[in-house]
Amino acid sequence: MQVFLQTLIGGITFGAVYALVAMGFSIVYRTMGLVNFAHGSVVMIGAYAASTFYMASRVPFAVAIVVAIVVTGLIGLIIERFLRPLENKDFTLMLIGTIGFGAVLEALAILIWGATGRAVPNPVATEPLDLGGVRIPTYSLLVIGVAALATGMLAWFLRRTKLGAAMQAVAMDHEAATACGIHVGRSNAMAFGIGACLAAVAGSLIGPMLYVNPTMGGTLGIKGFAAAMLGGFGSMPGAIVGGLAFGLLDAFAAGNFQGYSDLVTFVVFALAVMIRPTGIFGETTVNRA
Amino acid sequence: MKRRLLLLAPIAVAAWLLPYGLGGYTMHVVDVAVIFAILAIGLGLTMGVAGQINLAQVAFFGVGAYTVAILTTRTGLSFWPAAVLAILAAVAAGLLVGIPALRMQSHYLGIVTLGLALGFINWVTNAGIAGRAEGISNIPVPPLFGIDLSSGYLFYYLELVVFALVLAFALFVTRSPLGRRMRAMRDDGLAAGALGAEIPLLRMTAFVLSGLYGGVAGLLYAGLIQFVAPETFSISNMFLLLAMVIIGGRASVIGCVIGALGLAFVREALLDVSAYAQLGYGIVVVLVVVFFPQGLAGLPAQVFRRKARERPRLAPFVPYDEAPPTPARTALEIDQVTKRFKGLVALQDVSLSVPVREIRGIVGPNGSGKTTLFNVISGFYTPTAGRVRLDGNAVTGLTPYRLSLEGIARTFQNLRLFEDLTVRDNVLVALDRTRTSWIWRYLALPWAVAGYDRSLRGRAEEVLQRFGLSDFADAIPRLLPYGIQRRVEIARAMASSPSLLLLDEPAAGLNGDEVGRLAEIVRSIRDSGVTVVVIEHNMGLVMSLCDHITVLSGGRVIADGSPDEVAVDPRVVEAYLGDSMTAPTEREAEHDHADR
Repeated sequence: MQVFLQTLIGGITFGAVYALVAMGFSIVYRTMGLVNFAHGSVVMIGAYAASTFYMASRVPFAVAIVVAIVVTGLIGLIIERFLRPLENKDFTLMLIGTIGFGAVLEALAILIWGATGRAVPNPVATEPLDLGGVRIPTYSLLVIGVAALATGMLAWFLRRTKLGAAMQAVAMDHEAATACGIHVGRSNAMAFGIGACLAAVAGSLIGPMLYVNPTMGGTLGIKGFAAAMLGGFGSMPGAIVGGLAFGLLDAFAAGNFQGYSDLVTFVVFALAVMIRPTGIFGETTVNRA
Repeated sequence: MKRRLLLLAPIAVAAWLLPYGLGGYTMHVVDVAVIFAILAIGLGLTMGVAGQINLAQVAFFGVGAYTVAILTTRTGLSFWPAAVLAILAAVAAGLLVGIPALRMQSHYLGIVTLGLALGFINWVTNAGIAGRAEGISNIPVPPLFGIDLSSGYLFYYLELVVFALVLAFALFVTRSPLGRRMRAMRDDGLAAGALGAEIPLLRMTAFVLSGLYGGVAGLLYAGLIQFVAPETFSISNMFLLLAMVIIGGRASVIGCVIGALGLAFVREALLDVSAYAQLGYGIVVVLVVVFFPQGLAGLPAQVFRRKARERPRLAPFVPYDEAPPTPARTALEIDQVTKRFKGLVALQDVSLSVPVREIRGIVGPNGSGKTTLFNVISGFYTPTAGRVRLDGNAVTGLTPYRLSLEGIARTFQNLRLFEDLTVRDNVLVALDRTRTSWIWRYLALPWAVAGYDRSLRGRAEEVLQRFGLSDFADAIPRLLPYGIQRRVEIARAMASSPSLLLLDEPAAGLNGDEVGRLAEIVRSIRDSGVTVVVIEHNMGLVMSLCDHITVLSGGRVIADGSPDEVAVDPRVVEAYLGDSMTAPTEREAEHDHADR
């Protein structure tokens, strides 16, 4: 039971990060129909930006996160501008184009920060809380708290602000949105920027939990992407549920199958999406056949 | 063809003489590049030709290489039997990874295949039998009639023979009916299904091919390097492979080969500055995707736009021979069909029966269920209740490709031509009436396939001639005027020699002359013995063309009869014009005015 609860906490912590990554995928996908395979690499850049700033200048971790958000937000805008000719057109080309961007970002990270990784010190170095024998790291609480805060702010933005409403409109029908006087290009750029900001938050948070290195984007991106699919591509509640579900799957696979956890995780994932390709809260049409 | 062969000869001679001018290390680089070229062909076939996003190609490569390594070093099997088993194992892996493709496509498929590839890497880095992170060394050198294949020079010739074989097979497959069906599936899976292409089996075939090429490349790699380790099959190499295929041109086998050879050498040249190399090919991939989606292979066509010598013209339609009269029977019978989408009832107890050699019109306001009815008849939807019979045989719930082989052909409201196939290829896809299980012949009897393809081509010319499309045979449909595209779609449907033709708004977007010619074509099709059901909003055309009309409204049949009967039926008038009896007519309104 104790082991179970301990794994559960670890799973939820990683799940919160996967949920942030998945939300980044989803907001871009629902707004502009673009599947951003470079998202994982943006997360990695976010992790590097935050850790570099945090370790070099000894500013509070929160400030480092904000810096990372600015950096990745800019990168997001650049990627969007480049791929704009392909939006809402050829899915396959778009997908490959973003894979190309992922390779570029990875190469840039190697050039700037070197091919070897770095360990990031824990920003809240206190004893774990002891709850009836289950040890809850304080950093886990921080991760879950920040992820919840970011989710809440995003929900508020999408529901309560005019810009958010405009983005929802573009998501539903970009042609009709144009007819209503919404600048679709700007709205898309905003979605991409927000997605990249979420990536930065995810990257900053995961830094102290993992070893930060240039290739971490690959696995993280794929897991976040898988989480988005599990929840239902393009659905925000789906991204959260999918992220947590994937975090738990990952944690229990690691607990029970040690080294083979990735194999088990991805086989279970493949089976799950085969049984229900639309995910938990999925869009009704996966492949319009 | 002869010119092609002439062109091939110097390349073959150059390839044969190449080792004489190379140093030992360069030879090794060439050997590795050829292996990547084989892998790239496999990826090009699945992704470029069949349109299946497959990001597990390196895993198939790995399965091939590791099977050879494990069997030769752990069980003492000799190289060639292990190699045969390796190919089988890679094909089996292809089948397994392909299963998700039956349920999902595009980015969904991409992420699942990528995940499974990661799973494979995870397994080989952890499993004791696969040598964990250190890999397996001391794989025996393949014996070959006393030729010492540990020399990179001699191994090159083995590779060259294998490469020539797999390249020829890939070119043969892409140019054959199978390749055409795959390209049709890539462009529009729905329309391909409606023309007799068995989509699930085709998708699996694509993955089998991908596994086959991965396996061949893998066993060559094991024989060449005599060492396998997980990092060779990593995700970053998958992206390198992807870059090769995209830069070369994914839809062209030759393009894939050029991309693979080129990038393999560039990577080798920039080995010391690999981060810059990755930066470079990442940027090139982005630029290619945005500006040259066809890759290097598409460049010649993009640069030298062929000028049309003379303006092609649509020739007149050559009517079919009139078929002798057949005894009256029911061609299509729809019995109490209901179709519900969750809460929405699109069709409610629809029954109609169409006698053979009739032109039946289906009319009704928008949203009355006409196209849903077509989708039920042609197998895209399974009805919630009710039965469909074709010539007395129950065909309810059959898949579109089965119905196509049973003799149903259809056109689509918004034109579903295969956009990257020529007009001739569009027709050829429909002419091919074989089941996909026929594909064993591609391996066993390639000459029989070639003969069959020749006969199809002959018949395609006939069809194009009949529909006056000969001048447009090599054109890409989306560049043609709308009226001609409509005619191509009817020609394609008729190429499948149907007994029942369903036309969904064939006159939409046509001008007056074109509508007249359409009526002539449809009558001739009827006279040749084909039963025609047509959905149309152009009432003039419906009234003059159809023998019998069924009117749908709100998912129900509200009238059924000859054009004259239907036109005056008050329920029809009401459905079209609203409850017009209660509104004052122009005359009454005038009267009212005068009274006041």
